[in-house]
Amino acid sequence: MLEVIIETYSLTKNYGPHVALDSIDLKIRSGATGLLGPNGAGKSTLIKTLLGLIQLTSGDGSVLGYNIKTEGDMIRQRIGYMPEYDCLTPEMNAVDQVKYCGELTGMNTSSAHRRAHEVLEYVGLMEARTRQIETYSTGMAQATKLACAIVHDPQLVICDEPTNGLDTKARSFMLDTLFQVVKQGGRSILMSSHMMDDVERVCERMLMIHKGKLIAQGKIEDLKAIDREIEISVWGGADKMETGLKDAGMKPRRSGRVMRVVRIDETTYDRVLEIAAKAEVQIRRMEDYEPSLEDLFLVIMDRLGYTVKTSSDLLQTQPTARAVAPAPSRPGGEF
Amino acid sequence: MADDEFEIEDLFDDLDEQSRATSGRFASDEVTTDPETSPTPTDAPSVDDLFDDFDDMVAKKHQTEGGVPTSTTPDSAPAASEATREAEFMGEAGLAVTGQSRLEAAFGSGEGDDTAVAQVAQVASETSVGTIFHQVYRPWNGKLNTRWVRNWAILRYHIYGLFSKGHKPWPVMTKLVLFGVLITSLGDLVLLAVGAASGTEEISRLAGISRGNLYGHVLSFWFRNACTYPIVTALIIGGIISEDRRNGTSALYFSRPVNRRDYAAMKYLSVATILGVVVLFTLFAYYVGAILVNGEGWAYLIDTGLLFLGAFAAGTILVITYTSIGVALSSISQGKFFPAVSFLGLILGTKMVAFLIFWLFDSSAIYLISPYDNVAHVGQWMLGLNYTYEHPASWSLVMLLVINAVSLYILSARVSSLEVTRE
Repeated sequence: MLEVIIETYSLTKNYGPHVALDSIDLKIRSGATGLLGPNGAGKSTLIKTLLGLIQLTSGDGSVLGYNIKTEGDMIRQRIGYMPEYDCLTPEMNAVDQVKYCGELTGMNTSSAHRRAHEVLEYVGLMEARTRQIETYSTGMAQATKLACAIVHDPQLVICDEPTNGLDTKARSFMLDTLFQVVKQGGRSILMSSHMMDDVERVCERMLMIHKGKLIAQGKIEDLKAIDREIEISVWGGADKMETGLKDAGMKPRRSGRVMRVVRIDETTYDRVLEIAAKAEVQIRRMEDYEPSLEDLFLVIMDRLGYTVKTSSDLLQTQPTARAVAPAPSRPGGEF
Repeated sequence: MADDEFEIEDLFDDLDEQSRATSGRFASDEVTTDPETSPTPTDAPSVDDLFDDFDDMVAKKHQTEGGVPTSTTPDSAPAASEATREAEFMGEAGLAVTGQSRLEAAFGSGEGDDTAVAQVAQVASETSVGTIFHQVYRPWNGKLNTRWVRNWAILRYHIYGLFSKGHKPWPVMTKLVLFGVLITSLGDLVLLAVGAASGTEEISRLAGISRGNLYGHVLSFWFRNACTYPIVTALIIGGIISEDRRNGTSALYFSRPVNRRDYAAMKYLSVATILGVVVLFTLFAYYVGAILVNGEGWAYLIDTGLLFLGAFAAGTILVITYTSIGVALSSISQGKFFPAVSFLGLILGTKMVAFLIFWLFDSSAIYLISPYDNVAHVGQWMLGLNYTYEHPASWSLVMLLVINAVSLYILSARVSSLEVTRE
């Protein structure tokens, strides 16, 4: 049984009439947990609350056993926070920056200095650690921020968009490093991200918040089970197959010759085959469809009645807003 | 096509000849062997047999006509020739050419392989060759110190940065100006030493300890409060908080066990300490230097001790007031330039405006808008000097309290607004 590291009860935070957190009940166990939600969902407010930085409107909670209302200092001493935005002094080198962060947490100067070298090696900046931070790439700056967060070997690392602005290689390294912090170091991570792939790669659990409300929490695998589908490729009568599936009340989703139907139980396969036989359609392929986290997010939003565009939707949208309007005809005719 | 190139038609010509030859050999075998052991119809030459010979012929063709070698690797070419001969020998002995013999013919995988030494890639060993990068998370089991050690770290970061690497990276210009002002502030001590060394009493009297000289060291407008102290303050407060806001470094402070009160207090104390060294340390050095240089005794200490304490207190008020205003201005901006320029504008501008209005309307109360004049007025009262202002010193004292209170309120409000997640 994993230890519960974060627990909240009816956590509510209002900024005037705006409800930033709406009665959130959390229970996060040790390990890696993803914090998902669109912009303005309340992720940052939740993080600030967990760091013990803001006064709650109502509710209570604890992080690592310390009360978030009264023991903020104790919590922040045991947490490493990696901010999303720039937070480094450009004129300093990474060793001094990380050392200073260690000292701010309460480490001795000598310990902080030694540890700064260690963690910078761990995040892959061993060779560049004495360079000024202003000469760093985005990936190196992100790595330095992670080093600042883990310099005092915290029990919990809160990462706010750790892969923001990183290229593929740097992103992969950052995710691997975070994964190692959990697997090798035995530490816990709460990772806020818009990139669902990132969360899926590092975390085994996730929280999803939207408009200040907690809409899902639990193991990613378990949550994915709510959207289990069967994907079939048909040949010779996709329309007939679709009609047959609809008649059977299976609500197929179709893209050309590929269709997906909700998998209710083991008999769903047989029913699909029967429908195909009746419709005289070949089934070339039939398999369980493994939903991505993005699919899950869309399903949850759909069930809650929110319309959310996927990344592919956004890419396929015609760029009408950016279209160049034709030149207006001149009142006096062409010159 | 070149003569030495290999043609498929040549192969088939040779194949026909070989087929005839092998047919003759099987015929002769039938004559000489025992009927019981004679081949059954299934032992008759098959197409595979023909193609076994075909393989031999291909190999022979390569050798005799210089065709394309079996292997293009220089080292394996002789071995391939050897293996090809081996395959021919086995074929002549009536043995079937197996897949193994073909491999041997092609790659020399049999003969000599036992004694061959291959160079193969090895797994890197840490003890022998080291590793380039091995990501290992090392835990740290040290003890974290208390609040005052963390606060000391903030103070040290700012102060040590003036003369040591690894701390706040102050600009070179700031360091140079600060050094210059420090030397300039010790000017009266130098003058005193020159007077004592040269035996010139006039210099010693001119630069010696007196109410006027103590006041002048701390609060004279020209040259100290017109040029040196405000400029030093402006350079120091320029980025003391505003850079944290601009660079987002406030997130590093407040995501750690540093509360906003401690943060503001340590920033304030850092500026006050640096200014204190420039203003108060040099005053102390001047006073102690005067005693040592002139060889004064206890009576002199008793006579001038209160004067020194008055000047020290006035200097402290000056340091506090400049620091409060400067840090407050730094907290409301995001760069170095605005707080520095606005500080100079506030100190020198209000003095200038007050002077002009006083000149026009002959009322000294207008000097209450000038922080410097308020400190100077209170300083005159502390040192027992004749006032240069007509309004009561208590007004200036109250005004100083108001200025400091407003500054601290702004500082507090702005530090509270520093964000951890985003600005």
